[in-house]
Amino acid sequence: MAKQVLSCTINDEPVEVLIQPYSTLLDALREDLGLTGPKEGCGTGDCGACTVHLDGQPVASCLVLAMQARNRNVRTIEGLAKGALHPLQDAFVRHGAPQCGFCIPGVLMAAAALLEANPRPTEEEIRYGIAGNLCRCTGYTKIVAAIAEAATLTSEGARA
Amino acid sequence: MSTIMKTTRDVRGVGLAIPRADGAEKVTGRVEYVADIKRKGLLHAKLLRSPHAHARIVRIDTAKARALPGVRAVLTATDIPELKRKAPTRAHAVLAIDRVVFAGQPVAAVAADELAIAEEALDLIDVEYQVLPAAVDPLQSMQPGAPPVADAGTEADTSEALAHSAVAMAKGETRRADAPEPTKAVNVSQTAHVKRGDVAKGFAESDVVIEHTYRVPMVHQGYLEPHAVLAEWDRTGHLTLWASTQGSFNTRSEVADVLGVDENRITVIPVECGGGFGGKIRALCEPITAVLARATGRPVRYVMTRREELEAGMPAPQVIIRLKTGVKRDGTLMALEAETVLESGAFSGAVLAVSAVFLGSLYRWPAFDIKGSEVLTHKPSVAAYRAPVAPQTIFAIDSQMEALARALGLDPVEFRARHLSHPGEPMVNNQPWASHGGHEVLASAAGHRFWKERAAWKASAPAGRVRGTGLSLGGWLGGLQPTGATVKLNPDGTVSVLTGQVDIAGTNIALAQIAASAYGVDFEKVRITTGDTDVAPVTGLSAGSKTVYTVGVAVMQAAQDARRQTLEVAAGELEAAVEDLDIVDGRVVVRGMPDRGVTLTQIGRKGNLYMSKVQPILGSARTAFTQQAPAFASEIARIELDPDTGEVTLHGFVVVQDAGRAINPLGVEGQMQGGAVQSLGIALTEQLAYDDQGRLTNPSLLDYRKLTAADLPNIETIIVEVPSPSGPFGARGVGEPPIVPAPAAIANAVEDAAAVRITECPLTPERIAMKLAGRPAGKS
Repeated sequence: MAKQVLSCTINDEPVEVLIQPYSTLLDALREDLGLTGPKEGCGTGDCGACTVHLDGQPVASCLVLAMQARNRNVRTIEGLAKGALHPLQDAFVRHGAPQCGFCIPGVLMAAAALLEANPRPTEEEIRYGIAGNLCRCTGYTKIVAAIAEAATLTSEGARA
Repeated sequence: MSTIMKTTRDVRGVGLAIPRADGAEKVTGRVEYVADIKRKGLLHAKLLRSPHAHARIVRIDTAKARALPGVRAVLTATDIPELKRKAPTRAHAVLAIDRVVFAGQPVAAVAADELAIAEEALDLIDVEYQVLPAAVDPLQSMQPGAPPVADAGTEADTSEALAHSAVAMAKGETRRADAPEPTKAVNVSQTAHVKRGDVAKGFAESDVVIEHTYRVPMVHQGYLEPHAVLAEWDRTGHLTLWASTQGSFNTRSEVADVLGVDENRITVIPVECGGGFGGKIRALCEPITAVLARATGRPVRYVMTRREELEAGMPAPQVIIRLKTGVKRDGTLMALEAETVLESGAFSGAVLAVSAVFLGSLYRWPAFDIKGSEVLTHKPSVAAYRAPVAPQTIFAIDSQMEALARALGLDPVEFRARHLSHPGEPMVNNQPWASHGGHEVLASAAGHRFWKERAAWKASAPAGRVRGTGLSLGGWLGGLQPTGATVKLNPDGTVSVLTGQVDIAGTNIALAQIAASAYGVDFEKVRITTGDTDVAPVTGLSAGSKTVYTVGVAVMQAAQDARRQTLEVAAGELEAAVEDLDIVDGRVVVRGMPDRGVTLTQIGRKGNLYMSKVQPILGSARTAFTQQAPAFASEIARIELDPDTGEVTLHGFVVVQDAGRAINPLGVEGQMQGGAVQSLGIALTEQLAYDDQGRLTNPSLLDYRKLTAADLPNIETIIVEVPSPSGPFGARGVGEPPIVPAPAAIANAVEDAAAVRITECPLTPERIAMKLAGRPAGKS
């Protein structure tokens, strides 16, 4: 099949890349653009490890065709930190949230989208906000605590 | 320990709750897993897998697949000269020869320029099968006349049992199935039998006898990263494997054995492992990937799909335990009789001994008769899953203890505490229980408000709901394996530790803390490296809760060795006796004379100077000790139950666990919380469900239901510290114990709430609702 040109913005950079028309966004990011932060844990949208932002909304990039990202904004885990670690990333490190780490890029992107939409979520809202992200190592407790702390720190910072 | 090992002030090391060193790499997505690695000329592999659980392969036609542009190799069994019939393990059965023995077994392999081409090639391979009757149910598979699984004369594989349980059974207590055994059926691959005392007399003198059959289905370890490997041969015939493995040296040995290659011609690079939990110990896809790389002369990467993981991974065995127990009215234990059946799938390799130890000797039964069988079926062969067979066994014995206490009107915790074996008392194999904190853990759990306030919780149920509290006690006997480590002092005064230990759970930070405390510097000065199989000292598996316990001792002794060498160099420099020296703030000083000293930087530099006479500091240690350190955990579940739907909602969950000494409490808590949630998955939602043809009916993460953040409360942790005599700084293994207690804790909570005893996992809403309605649950 003939490859097609995908033009879009990825992590604030304009990108043009030749891709197979059947490529998923996840495959295009990982195989064609070298952005291997998003992970494939299932390929069927059930585990959330491939979560990226498409125009600010969290999506399972294994369920999105790459061409659907044409002329749109994509943000991956590689683009979450602008310079220093994002407050969520910093809180995850300090809380010891990552263990094997495979789910963490997806969890962080889901959490970042949650805090964009709801800067002061309750614990229940955090738990539902990452309910599409499976983690097998942590039991979620430290992840939830890290998200709650990052929310508190950033919204206090915004008020100051 | 001699005086030179004593520091005059505490360094920042053991006992600190500090995050692991790779956190920043992990939260930025920069850590590389196998699927993230590319090599020049990389090919992608796919395997064609059998759709049938049991079939004869009549014919395989690969011509069309070979002709597809971009396909570099299409292999079947006839292309692999090393393949042997009577494969003792899954790893040896690289591709099926002429018979498939489980649905999902690989029959052909493709390497192609792109993954999509390899996938297309699979569709072009034509396989003609003659479908044969399959042995699907383990109890039926034990019966004479069941369809045979293994080729006649295949040796049972007990290496998993040896690697994992480290429970020596006396001669004759476990035997291979080929030993004389009159009732042996064709698919029974291992048996065990232990007994003590007069069981018949014990039951005859009992006032209360309870018998239940407990079942826990096959479950998957559920690691988020599927199996993955990248294989590349160089022109000299040297194989390099980038592997997602829990033990690079084990992977090297297994691949060398399957392919008939010398071990020093294979390098295994342990890439970041995205979870293993026992499922990434044994070789699985490494041999076929290496064969494809050899056939093509190109690097080949193989990454399993989630469907392949669920259909053809190496799950935990189904465990069926018939358990009969008798007690006197005053609570005196009289007799226990048990029959354990482990369903091992198509190849032998399950762990029998752990079940016997916990059934017969967790509590002090004066008479017991315990039989165990490993049974083959036409399903994927099993492997370890975190504390293999312990959650299933504790589900049985702890449920039974709870049922007995309730039948007798006794306090369930006091009843357990009264009968729990003490250190020094005999296990079923007549070996004494090692030091353990089981009693301390149980006492701590009993003091938790969830347990003390259980009556108030039960009374607080809203209309249309019932509430209950369940407690359970379980544990792990502790793993052992020989291992080595080195510690060196660098020219700038920093310290480097080298092992081959795969760090999944956060063990490297704990090992660095051990090195810091044992050498006498703050942990910030210590870096630890996981080396590949060429550079690292031989190191055991990251499994069995033994990394900190055994590798920690090697690192501690290597650091002490480096400290001794450092002080010897300093003694010459300072013209002082070694015994009078100490390391304080990066300097070796004479005790009581803080002005007389030499810095670690000076010592490190002199070990690396041209024409210097000072030897470099290189501490090393190797260990192979035999003392186990059992570790116990108790879990308490506070639940609400909807009697109409059978749905259980968790309102609170606490893990109380004996860590011996928590080297890094942050990491220990993480292990406890993660293990508890895996335990809750076994209890509530998880099962690999097969149809009557042996095909998996739920091969996706939508249908293989793992618990999400929204299903769970915060997992509270309470660390108990009863030091082990042989672990580093008193540490015990912490990985396995928390996965053990929850199935029984949940079943006990359901009984507390709704007065029904459920003996089959998972405790799904359907199963609970049917039980409450007095009807047998449908097959699910």
